[in-house]
Amino acid sequence: MPQFNINNLECVRHNNILFSDLTFTMKDGDLLQIDGTNGSGKSSLLQICSGLIRPSKGTIEWNNEDIYEYHNSFHKDTLYLGHKNAIKSSLTIKENIQFISALGGVIENQDYTEILNTVGLSDTEELYAGNLSAGQQRRLSLSRLLMTRSKLWLLDEPFNALDKHGKRMVENIIINHCNIGGIVIFTTHQEMEFNQYPLKSIHLGNNNV
Amino acid sequence: MSESINIFFVMLKRDLILAMRDKTDFINSLIFFIIIIVLFPLTFGSDAKLINELIPGVIWISALLATCLSLESIFRSDFEDGTIEQITLSRYPLTLIVSAKIIAHWLTFGIPLIIISILMGLIFSLPVDVILALFITLLLGTPTLSLFGSVMVVLTIGLRGSMLLSLLILPLSMPVLIFSILAVNNASINQSIIAETYFLGGILLLAISLAPIAASAALRIRLS
Amino acid sequence: MYKWIHQFGSPKYFYNISLVLSKWIAFVCIACFIAGLYGGLVLAPADYQQGDSYRIIYIHVPASWMSLFVYLVLATSGAITLIWRIKIADFVARASAPIGASFTFLALTTGAIWGKPMWGTYWVWDARLTSELILLFLYLGYIALQSSFNDKRIAARAGAILALIGVINIPIIHYSVEWWSTLHQGPTISKLDTPSIHYSMLIPLLLMLAAYKTFYIYVALMGVRNEIIESEYNTAWVKKLLDN
Repeated sequence: MPQFNINNLECVRHNNILFSDLTFTMKDGDLLQIDGTNGSGKSSLLQICSGLIRPSKGTIEWNNEDIYEYHNSFHKDTLYLGHKNAIKSSLTIKENIQFISALGGVIENQDYTEILNTVGLSDTEELYAGNLSAGQQRRLSLSRLLMTRSKLWLLDEPFNALDKHGKRMVENIIINHCNIGGIVIFTTHQEMEFNQYPLKSIHLGNNNV
Repeated sequence: MSESINIFFVMLKRDLILAMRDKTDFINSLIFFIIIIVLFPLTFGSDAKLINELIPGVIWISALLATCLSLESIFRSDFEDGTIEQITLSRYPLTLIVSAKIIAHWLTFGIPLIIISILMGLIFSLPVDVILALFITLLLGTPTLSLFGSVMVVLTIGLRGSMLLSLLILPLSMPVLIFSILAVNNASINQSIIAETYFLGGILLLAISLAPIAASAALRIRLS
Repeated sequence: MYKWIHQFGSPKYFYNISLVLSKWIAFVCIACFIAGLYGGLVLAPADYQQGDSYRIIYIHVPASWMSLFVYLVLATSGAITLIWRIKIADFVARASAPIGASFTFLALTTGAIWGKPMWGTYWVWDARLTSELILLFLYLGYIALQSSFNDKRIAARAGAILALIGVINIPIIHYSVEWWSTLHQGPTISKLDTPSIHYSMLIPLLLMLAAYKTFYIYVALMGVRNEIIESEYNTAWVKKLLDN
């Protein structure tokens, strides 16, 4: 049954029409890649999908409910990862993870070592997040993918600042999520190959798709 | 439901820890507060009677200005590092989370402010009634300033021109200032301050009910 | 009913209708001004207490009424913007703010001018004057906030929040003369009671109020039309309009 419907979306930023008449549907287990050059509206499209920005035209439905009317249930099912990492430099990694997991609705006082190992930040619990490198901070931010109950993932350039291992790690997390019926939409400006999984694609550029 | 209460305390604890780890923001404002109060008597000379009359008002005005200064820290870092988007899109009510942040601000800034004000009152040998009036009005007034101020902070975050925040806070804080000064003046002539206290309490209740909702709406507006 | 609101909210329809209305409004405005000023300055008898200097009431009182009225328009448009996101409401609010600020400033200054010969002072910190001053700051803050944003839609919605919070001030201004004993006299005109002011003075006052109100509508509509053209710049009908 269709889960995430986008109908006739139009986005206008700074008096420029970035894209118009955009329509697509996502079902359980779908994986969608949005690519395009810088400034083509990838982040804006993702922010519209998350409900942060409103499109100038068009509707978005989750489970056949308009996401603006039923935004509570929509937000429960959605995870958004933006460009910025949303971590605090003055907090330790453990405190950051505790906050992320609480915000994601996951039970606290878990053992976080497994999560830290998965994102490649083993044995760093007591370090201050401000002392990490950019790539490590991105990994910390990505830990939210492992501590969420949300079905729909909207990831803005999740592979940024990561090395080859990091990219593969994220790929695996995403594929695992899709395998259990989750829906993932991500943006990227790099060439990606998802070998093990069918990948839908939207290219934003001069004229949409 | 209990999950929502849980996130309230998680947020509160997080903001308190952050304020403790990075003390510069609120310590700067408290020092600013003290400096204004200390500088004022220099201009009065040694006319003790004049100082006694004016110092309570000076304390209150300094409190207002120092609060303006300290308010920006509530949301600025969350805006800069993207936490605001996560909070807005989370499954928990935004008003609850915003309330936690405002309360954390008052706990780290408002309470030391009140304590310092009482100390100032003692240093200037103000009569006990006046110090009590100062205490009560600040106790009711500083949360109100934190609440209304945070709405204005959200509306003006990141905009050029830092005076805009003060301009917006001014109209909303004038009633609080007026009633507080009335109360302090009444206390200094041994009149009851109960009426002004009721007014301040009423304004505080109004702020408690309106400000978190307004701040959440303003957050959503600023993010779009 | 909804169709009517929808039509009214369409910028093109609003633009054309307001052009037609504006001609009539200007006519009514000028007529009321002339009648009101003549009635107030010439026909109405001198006050037995204040003599002829009370006549500034015909400028001062309508100005203060309008300062409150325009703020209510501001707050209502703000609410409409937040709830239904109708663009015309954005424009109305943006255009009304400077006019409301001017009325408030006029009320404060004519009040001060009246106050000096009457009560010996330009200003006193009573409830009504202080809250009117707060109103002026609210207007100025609103205008400053709106001009700080590049995106006008966000500006309108941010301003709406500010306007709605400040609405608390309006009942305070209005009822301050009843709640506290102040320099101002009590209310002379209320909806349900017979007014305590003589008819020969009342009629010019109401005429001046009508003049001020139509003046406000005329100027506000001009502002709204400007905003419409600016925002609908890319549409065909505006391009045709500007070519002519």
